Amino acid sequence: MSVTNGATPRTVRLEDFSSRRRFGLKGPAAEAWLNERGFDVPPGANSARIGRDGVLVARLATSEFLIEDIGAAGESVQGAWRALESAHSPAGVYPVLRQDFVAGISGSGLPALLRQICNVDFDPVFEAHAAADGPVVLTSMAGVGVVAWPVRAADRCCITLWMDPSFAHYFQGTLSSIAQDIAR
Amino acid sequence: MKRLPPVPGELIDRAQSFEFVFEGRRFLAHPGDTISSALLASGVRVLGRSFKYHRPRGVLSAAGHDVNALMQVQGPSYSVPNVRADIVAVEKGWRVTAVNTRGGLEHDRLRVLDRFAPFFPVGFYYKAFHGKRLFPFWERMFRHITGLGRIDLRAPRRATAKRYDFCDVLVVGAGPSGLTAALAAAERGAQVLLVDENAAAGGSGLYARGGEGAGAEEVHALLRSVRAEPRIRVLLNTYAAGYYADHWVALAAPECLIKVRARSVVIAQGAYELPAVFRGNDLPGVMLASAAQRLIYRYAVAPASRIAVLTANPEGYAAALDALAHGIEVAAVLDLRSDRGELSRHSAALLERAGVALHQGVTPIEAIGHSRGVAALLYRSAGGAQQRLPIDGLWMSVGFAPANALLHQAGTSMRYESAAEQFVPGELPAGVYACGKINGHYGLADRLADGNHAGAQAAFAAGRSGTAPAPAPQLGSECRTHAYPIFPHRGHKEFIDFDEDLQVCDIENACQEGFDSSELLKRFSTVGMGPSQGKHSNVNALRILARVRGEPVERVGTTTARPMYHPVPMAHLAGRGFTPERRTPVDAQHAALGAVFMPAGNWRRPEYYAIAGKSRAEAIAEEVRAVRTRAGLIDVGTLGKIEAHGPHAAEFLERLYTARFANLKTGMTRYGLMLDEAGVVVDDGVIARLAEGRFYFTTTTGNSATLFREFGRLAAWWNLPVGLVNLTGHMAAFNLAGPASRAILRGLTDLDLEHSAFPYLGVREAVVATVPCRIMRVGFVGELGYEIHAPASQGAHLWSALLEAGHRHGIRPFGVEAQRMLRLEKGHIIVGQDSDGVTNALELDMPWAIKMDKPFFVGQRSLRIIAKSARRQTLVGFKLPSESGARLRECNLIIADGRIAGRITSIGRSPTLGCHIGLALVEPAVAAGGELRIRTEQREEVTAGIVSLPFYDPHAERQKIEDTALLELAS
Repeated sequence: MSVTNGATPRTVRLEDFSSRRRFGLKGPAAEAWLNERGFDVPPGANSARIGRDGVLVARLATSEFLIEDIGAAGESVQGAWRALESAHSPAGVYPVLRQDFVAGISGSGLPALLRQICNVDFDPVFEAHAAADGPVVLTSMAGVGVVAWPVRAADRCCITLWMDPSFAHYFQGTLSSIAQDIAR
Repeated sequence: MKRLPPVPGELIDRAQSFEFVFEGRRFLAHPGDTISSALLASGVRVLGRSFKYHRPRGVLSAAGHDVNALMQVQGPSYSVPNVRADIVAVEKGWRVTAVNTRGGLEHDRLRVLDRFAPFFPVGFYYKAFHGKRLFPFWERMFRHITGLGRIDLRAPRRATAKRYDFCDVLVVGAGPSGLTAALAAAERGAQVLLVDENAAAGGSGLYARGGEGAGAEEVHALLRSVRAEPRIRVLLNTYAAGYYADHWVALAAPECLIKVRARSVVIAQGAYELPAVFRGNDLPGVMLASAAQRLIYRYAVAPASRIAVLTANPEGYAAALDALAHGIEVAAVLDLRSDRGELSRHSAALLERAGVALHQGVTPIEAIGHSRGVAALLYRSAGGAQQRLPIDGLWMSVGFAPANALLHQAGTSMRYESAAEQFVPGELPAGVYACGKINGHYGLADRLADGNHAGAQAAFAAGRSGTAPAPAPQLGSECRTHAYPIFPHRGHKEFIDFDEDLQVCDIENACQEGFDSSELLKRFSTVGMGPSQGKHSNVNALRILARVRGEPVERVGTTTARPMYHPVPMAHLAGRGFTPERRTPVDAQHAALGAVFMPAGNWRRPEYYAIAGKSRAEAIAEEVRAVRTRAGLIDVGTLGKIEAHGPHAAEFLERLYTARFANLKTGMTRYGLMLDEAGVVVDDGVIARLAEGRFYFTTTTGNSATLFREFGRLAAWWNLPVGLVNLTGHMAAFNLAGPASRAILRGLTDLDLEHSAFPYLGVREAVVATVPCRIMRVGFVGELGYEIHAPASQGAHLWSALLEAGHRHGIRPFGVEAQRMLRLEKGHIIVGQDSDGVTNALELDMPWAIKMDKPFFVGQRSLRIIAKSARRQTLVGFKLPSESGARLRECNLIIADGRIAGRITSIGRSPTLGCHIGLALVEPAVAAGGELRIRTEQREEVTAGIVSLPFYDPHAERQKIEDTALLELAS
């Protein structure tokens, strides 16, 4: 038994990954297009996979994807976006401009923070997915719609959130305020 | 009353003590003492005054429901109202006063109201407030003589956190059955959250002992097992305040509200002990037997020195044994029943052996006392003789009401179990279980067995497995609750509801006045509407109602137990709010330019840009003049920005908007009006065709998120495979407008901007200031203009480049207010301002935007029907001199023939025209009359002339002519 009325000081680390290169695409031919270009596409909706070149492919729905360079993959992400944006983009593939505010949150206070801002139970997700591959969760945090990618690596839990960039100021301020409370 | 020698399991720390002040007097307390227990230990019986009659009151339940012992607690810097003395631990240095007194608790001047009780009949408030004339008088009087604590406005604002929690099985109540349920669920692998409102787990198993019974040892053993079980988390001082769909339960913890999502829920909250109803049952010293037992075993307080126990169940005999075990003299045990029953015989024998008088078939007549509390009990013996028993404490144990509010909220159907004289669950919803006293089980063995069964079932419902539990126990043969412990007295003061000072006659009279259903009775008499929410009063009131109607209790039904069924601190409910605010990519630039911000939907937008030494109106007027004569730049990044892809995109837009898009040429834009199924205008925007199967369109600022969801729903509904992309926050957007706008833009792009190459309503994709952009030639503000959309990350660079390039042309940034005036001069509507929730498209007089000959668009069928009827209202423009126009505001009413015939939707002073102009929705007959009679807020009447729209540039010349001509025109 553990009595949980007490409080232990915890820390929260908030990082801004917005400057990473990314793009999105959707449409009935999107998956085939990604496969043709060598991206490692996860088979199921609401899941993510990191390719060998450090490119994350998050499948947000059956035919909607978010591609992000999280390992300095060079030009592959940028090149793919240029091809997609060109006047001759393939039929059934629709480019999605992604200018997201991307927040990486980690630290010992992460579980407590998540329980204040989101009604999804991430504990089982962290426990079940030790590798970088795992589910992506489309949910709301602190009132903002986000794509959440929770991962556990070397017993360190962290979660990456993508959201509309217009919420960046609000979201950072709100999280900082809660993180300060948690750290007390 | 005194502090007892150490009692095993007591919650107080005798090693320490401290002082606090109550009603100006100093008292000692130990850490762990409640305000009530510390005062009782010092001999104080009167803890507060009643709500209506200001009668002295003391402890009733000691369980969080002592509404007449609410305190105002003065801390170092501010005071806290309505602190529950019976459960809140007192702290060093507190200055405590009873609420709702005038002149202090002892000398409360309003105690005189008790003598005027006959003049306060049931429904008095309704009757008093019935007439308008005396309403203010009664309002002031009631405010003065009734009420609870005072809110201290010096209290600091706390951003109280709320949090979510999750578990397999939530067990509410850590009494014997709840503990067993938690263990049974955990043994089957479930992660269990066990919550209890008390400072310690164990429930009645630790305080209703019957002397020093073995039951407490069994409960201690359970507690040890729970502590050793890693799958069980325990939250104490926490109560479940409400149950919501899908097993969401709101927990009120000491510091915050916790929203728990469980896979299954076990309700083991026990039962509320009910008072007997007889004259004087509210005197200090008259309390529930369970209250006395709590005081003894939790706080080592003897609440009296010589008591009588008024009972109708074995628990009363057990309470008498508890009193004897702690040196409290028991003058008599007075049993309402003629036969005390098998379960009480052993306790009765022990009491008789101790010399306690035991009487059966007793009828209480009156508790006699004085301002300091009860002094004697007058009762009638089974033989009819009237007896007077001197006592300083009377403990009542005549029955229970199950604490089943959460079960009600979960959708449980209840049935009345006559054998237990209480409602028990009939059919439980999936994943919800109940055990213990709620099911009518009062014996310890039965409660444990019932808890074991419920816990196992809950674990199975949560997806866990294990051995099947033993069957749930059958209901015991002996009833714990008296069917009608109500003894009216011709002198009244037999209280049903201690919160609201309701007597038996009040309930009877309400029924006789026609309020004879449970819900009507509640609202008219206010029974159960006080802070304890009827926990001790509802059952007895329903019994009276049933008797008046001549029906069994189960036929009169119960009232609804809505969440929160127990008061939750306002700070918990307010908590830390999440109100997302959106900012455009150039927010910092706006601030640097002196923007005064305003909310627009959930966005922050510049209302205008302040100018040192100039008023708001002057600054806005300068912005308007800049757009009309030179150039202006406004951030319109808040517009909804959506892409539609695929071969069916045009078809999708045809259905969505009233205009036609199948024939829209690539490179062109068209205005779109969006309706709902009733033909009401819900949004508008500009739709651009970027390629054959690629459209880019805007929505109004406030509607973008809602509409995008609706678009997805409609696409699925229509089975149109269209790819929709929401770019609202991902794209920055600016409107560069004014006669110099083309010249400014020309310096930043290679795009051919000549009218012939880039006509009005065209759209182009081009690079502007090194940024890839989409440029639309639109004219919302009525000037040559370009709406430039670019990726959000490059928005700040583009904004700066446009301002810099426009500097030599006298460009100014302009805000929302200037834009409103510019579009008003042009007669352009704003959906939601110039229309409302019932304004249909025909009333806005925009036939050019509605293509009724299309096969289908949302709202078309309604418009066809509406078109056959006379028009209800129409939008007109009006103009009037500034001196009278300045008195008008939006929403001022249009009056015709002494009645309301419309309202102003937009009004303002046009810097361009030098007069006030506006739009109004009016009846067609009024529109035809040539003038409007408008009533101001000061109820004056102003006359305005109706004019044709637009007010400015009626032939849209300014969109067509070349730069030089425009500049000449402007100058």
